[in-house]
Amino acid sequence: MTRTRATLIAAAVLATASLSACGSDPAAAGGDPKTGGTIVYGHVQEPPCIFGGWIQQAYISRQVLDGLVTLAEDGSVQPWLATKWAASADGLTYTFTLKDGVKFTDGTPVDAEAVAWNFDLWENKGGNSTAKVSIDPYYKSAKAVDARTVEISLNSPYPPFLNLITQGYFGIQSPTAYKSRTEKENCEKPIGSGGFTVKEWKHGEEVVLAKNPAYTSWPATAKHEGPAIVDEVRWKFIADGVSRYASLSTGESHVVYEVPTVNWKDATARYQTIRYITPGKPVSFYINTKTGPFTDAAVRKAFAYGADRKAAVEAGFHGVIPYEGNPAVSQSTPGYNAEAAKAYAYDPAKANQLLDEAGWTGRNAEKVRTKDGQPLTIKLVYGSGFIFTQEGATVLQVLQEQWKQVGFDVKLIPATQAELWGGKYSDPSTFDATPSYWTSPSAAILWIVWRPSTAEKPNGSNRSFYNNETLSTTIQQANAEADAAKANALYGKAQQIIQDDAAGIGLYTQNSTYAVAQNLKNVWLEKSQGEPVFSDAYFVG
Amino acid sequence: MSAAIRVVFKTVASLAVIVAAASVTFFAQLAVPGDRANTLMNLQTGQDKQWSAAELAPLNERFGFDDPVVVQYLDYLNGLLHGDLGTSYTQKRPVLEIIGGQLLPSLTLTGAALLVAWALALGITLLTVKRGRFLTGLGTTWEALTASLPHYWVGVVLLVVFAVQLRAFPIIGGTSAWGSVLPVLTLAIPLAGFLGQVTRDEFEQVLRQPFVTTARTRGMSDLGVRLRHVLRHAILPAVTLSGWALGALVSGAVIAENIFGRPGIGQVLVTAVNTRDLPTVSGIVLVVAAIYVIANLLVDLAYALIDPRLRTAGAR
Repeated sequence: MTRTRATLIAAAVLATASLSACGSDPAAAGGDPKTGGTIVYGHVQEPPCIFGGWIQQAYISRQVLDGLVTLAEDGSVQPWLATKWAASADGLTYTFTLKDGVKFTDGTPVDAEAVAWNFDLWENKGGNSTAKVSIDPYYKSAKAVDARTVEISLNSPYPPFLNLITQGYFGIQSPTAYKSRTEKENCEKPIGSGGFTVKEWKHGEEVVLAKNPAYTSWPATAKHEGPAIVDEVRWKFIADGVSRYASLSTGESHVVYEVPTVNWKDATARYQTIRYITPGKPVSFYINTKTGPFTDAAVRKAFAYGADRKAAVEAGFHGVIPYEGNPAVSQSTPGYNAEAAKAYAYDPAKANQLLDEAGWTGRNAEKVRTKDGQPLTIKLVYGSGFIFTQEGATVLQVLQEQWKQVGFDVKLIPATQAELWGGKYSDPSTFDATPSYWTSPSAAILWIVWRPSTAEKPNGSNRSFYNNETLSTTIQQANAEADAAKANALYGKAQQIIQDDAAGIGLYTQNSTYAVAQNLKNVWLEKSQGEPVFSDAYFVG
Repeated sequence: MSAAIRVVFKTVASLAVIVAAASVTFFAQLAVPGDRANTLMNLQTGQDKQWSAAELAPLNERFGFDDPVVVQYLDYLNGLLHGDLGTSYTQKRPVLEIIGGQLLPSLTLTGAALLVAWALALGITLLTVKRGRFLTGLGTTWEALTASLPHYWVGVVLLVVFAVQLRAFPIIGGTSAWGSVLPVLTLAIPLAGFLGQVTRDEFEQVLRQPFVTTARTRGMSDLGVRLRHVLRHAILPAVTLSGWALGALVSGAVIAENIFGRPGIGQVLVTAVNTRDLPTVSGIVLVVAAIYVIANLLVDLAYALIDPRLRTAGAR
């Protein structure tokens, strides 16, 4: 049952995505395909380095670095730098066979030594902390068997492994270039075997990507064989939504990222649009189960019942961004539990009843519920301007008003990036609820987020401070289960546990939206994280 | 002799101001809540969690975050004296290089905006002060309106009208001359309103002075009186404010840069503050402080040029 829903959604995503794909018929496109030209792409944020563990870096490093394997639209893992692979019967060893004759753009070969070195870099040398956390603690070692065969050993079986290494964080770099050049050179112009190379980075303005004419290692999911069709991609940073979207209408750009939701309807009429619902943890509230009023599960549930989250999300984002009732994983994640997502539909009567039963029966002068003289105050800390846009903040304000009706005094505390990332709100005493997301192509994200935090092995990502042994065992069983259907049933059970205990509260899915000019065809999104792929794109006219 | 001492004193004072600005920034940055290594780890991973001490150890070791504050400060000062502003924690590039690449576009933007604002303000003042009820009213209304406009609003309106509708200018024109027109106007229009208001008040007062009547009785034309006698007095307050305006423009520049996808120091500063990139923040503040100091020196000089009384005072 859960699978049907997931398939349906995958189909819906495909249908939108294929808007650009079906343009391969020149008659429909309204012109003949052309080679060459420059794509101007309007992105939002400028990353500090081209590659790294932040999704902003995965977007651009995907253009320059190739991965071992890639994720297809149907969710299957497909060849890229590796032509084939096999897992040992005990699930502890993955043997990859590499494509023959592939070279990095510095001329050195993409061989087994290079791949093994990259795994070591991510895991042991601080090369990419998100790559590391994705495969920790399962990853053991990587070694080159011969020039074209690389063997990855795991500590215990981990079937999501293949799925996880399709993420952009796992882009393979030239060890020769990495070791012989300065940190600055590697940061600005990493050397991979991808369809483009970094030609120039005009900081504060754009990164100019030039076609790699010797490209031989396109993924199995590519829409054409051979090097990129266009000559260059100018990857511009246009932080302001109004001008980013307007630049499409003046022809100054051909593709823009993050179409403002107010413009989405207009965009669907005028351009090719692609909407991608990011798999992984949606934008949902971590609920502090360690200190404060939310230590009582009934109060958490009352909080979930107490506001019409669905209506607030639909109004706040103009119907473009879907509501997500499942706090654990989003609807585009394999193994999504659609039933669990239905819990806690808006029911103020139920919220009031739960709060009455929990002893929050008094009311102070401001109509805020009290218990033993203490008001029911909730500190809601949110990343202002980087996790939450202005529209997202409006949604929170609407919810705040509704929570007030049932007796919650919700204090919205906007946190700057420096405060949030600097750890100002990491201590349990500093917040009661905080919304956040984490993209991942696998429900194995559950382990990263909900792994119990212990003194020996603290888990800073478990921001609900929720240690549940049954949950922990269920996720670990799911992570080790070779049969996909059984694994998904276990992941589904884990989501149910989180939802039943209201250890998190769902809000909306993290989305990526793109608008593409009519004269540019074959821009498509990579499946694991929704990064745009430009190596197959071509102009018509 | 005394002039030389004055110059030396001014220079030393200026340098002291710059070093003080750098020091204050250094300590202010340290005082911001949150751990620098933790921020860096979160920046590298796009997360918002608390990392364990073991995970943070390599970063603390590498950037010396664990050293006593005094040691960190002396290291920083020592670098400053050698012209080394350090290396960005996030971009892995020398701060000098980061600033060098972004300073010119910002200076061009703010400098051009100041010039255009002055031209607009003077033009409107000369044309509308005491020119009959209608023209005067038009001038004061325009000034009151534009002076209160937020930069973001001006930028978006200019963008929609001149770039999207009329297609006269590009939206994302980078640093090209044509692409700079709208960002410059975004900053210049509100500032022109402000400078105009200040100049107008003074202008009206000066027009009532006896020496203006004297000049007129000598048979001087109205335009001549306005240009040669009145303007000289009337612009003094606005000149004083220009030093301040340059600073205000830097903050407005961030908005203009954002809207028009233009490189510049403002955007770099905002990002660096957000990511606790201390060397970059300190470096930029240092440079901005230096610009302030230079701008104020220029204002002093301009005063002497405009007001002959100051020149004789200096010679005495």
